[in-house]
Amino acid sequence: MDLIKNWKIHVLALLLVIIAEKIGMQKFGLVVFLPLFYALALGGILSVPKFKILSSANMERAGKFMPIAMLILMAKLGLGIGPNLHMLLNSGLALIMQEFGHFFGTLLFGLPVALLLKMKREAIGACYSIDREPNVAIIAEKFGVFSPEGRGVMGMYICGTLFGALWISILVGIIAKLGIFHPYALAMGAGIGSASMMAAATGSIIASFPADVEKIQAYAGAANLMTSVIGVYFALFISLPVTIKVYEFITGNKNTK
Amino acid sequence: MKDTWADIIFILITTAVLVLISNIVGYGGSIQRDLIGALLLAVIAAGGVFLARLPLLNKLPIVFWVSVLAVVLSVPGVPGAEWIVAKTKDINFLATTTPILAYAGLALGKEIEGFKKLSWRIVPICLAVSTGSFVCATLMAEIMLHLEGIF
Repeated sequence: MDLIKNWKIHVLALLLVIIAEKIGMQKFGLVVFLPLFYALALGGILSVPKFKILSSANMERAGKFMPIAMLILMAKLGLGIGPNLHMLLNSGLALIMQEFGHFFGTLLFGLPVALLLKMKREAIGACYSIDREPNVAIIAEKFGVFSPEGRGVMGMYICGTLFGALWISILVGIIAKLGIFHPYALAMGAGIGSASMMAAATGSIIASFPADVEKIQAYAGAANLMTSVIGVYFALFISLPVTIKVYEFITGNKNTK
Repeated sequence: MKDTWADIIFILITTAVLVLISNIVGYGGSIQRDLIGALLLAVIAAGGVFLARLPLLNKLPIVFWVSVLAVVLSVPGVPGAEWIVAKTKDINFLATTTPILAYAGLALGKEIEGFKKLSWRIVPICLAVSTGSFVCATLMAEIMLHLEGIF
């Protein structure tokens, strides 16, 4: 039974939850720290192999646990959609168009940085999407994981796992506080194709606009639902070919394969 | 490779209990008020997994089916929707995020070896990529919501 075999991770998770919620939300100027941030950061520190607190089997288990546990959060978000269905249907076009922002934003912001840092075809794998599991699978199938594109997507996967949610939690808090965007627009922006980044982004928006919590949840949930349906297909049939074309156009390097 | 039902139910119930604790410690909840709500979230999640394993329906990801089931069960007029929404509304959204990211954190250690082998250049690119996804989608949403007259 898992509760006995991997008792450490469950006890630690319980302690992390209690400690994180006891600290509670802390604001420093534009920056907001949420309990999810402490839970993630402290959990990460506890899992550092050097400390020998967790075995790699423990960590594998925690990693397998996460996507299923995430479904609870998805259920919570989904339940916020029904009562606001009318409002969401009125913003249907916005929900569709924001997906283009999600899918091309990675290329638009990522590729210039990658090229500036002299990345080669790694840049294609790194910048064509948010590079979560399904996106890694697409690149692995097309190019193989040991190709330059494969190294790019794997690097981004690892890096995104380590820093994505922490970064998004802080970044979104700051952008929300700047007051440039409406909370509903920010909520749609939160539907990034990564579950933990989505949770972190939505949390920061709710923390900044506590009065709009129900509508923010509804918009974030709807945007996330959109991403979950079309994300993989968009990545495979549009994002990847476009990224390859743009990369080859800018650098003048054709794939010689 | 599929997870067994016993494991899925174990994970969902463990998570629901941690969500309940998170809600009590951080957001003024109580066992009496929130126990049913937390368990309902687990039941809906399990229902979504069940749907996602049916032939044909399994073409779309589990996340999709859990969301769709939750949406349907919250639409006013659907039998039971009012009760489900009332029971779950006091479970704070943030209370659902803390336990999940605690597990995400506890799994991070296994990525560290791989990370050491990477070039430092991947870090700024990674931050730019995730920033781009969020900022560009928000910008599109802002423009479209204006055009649609939502605000």
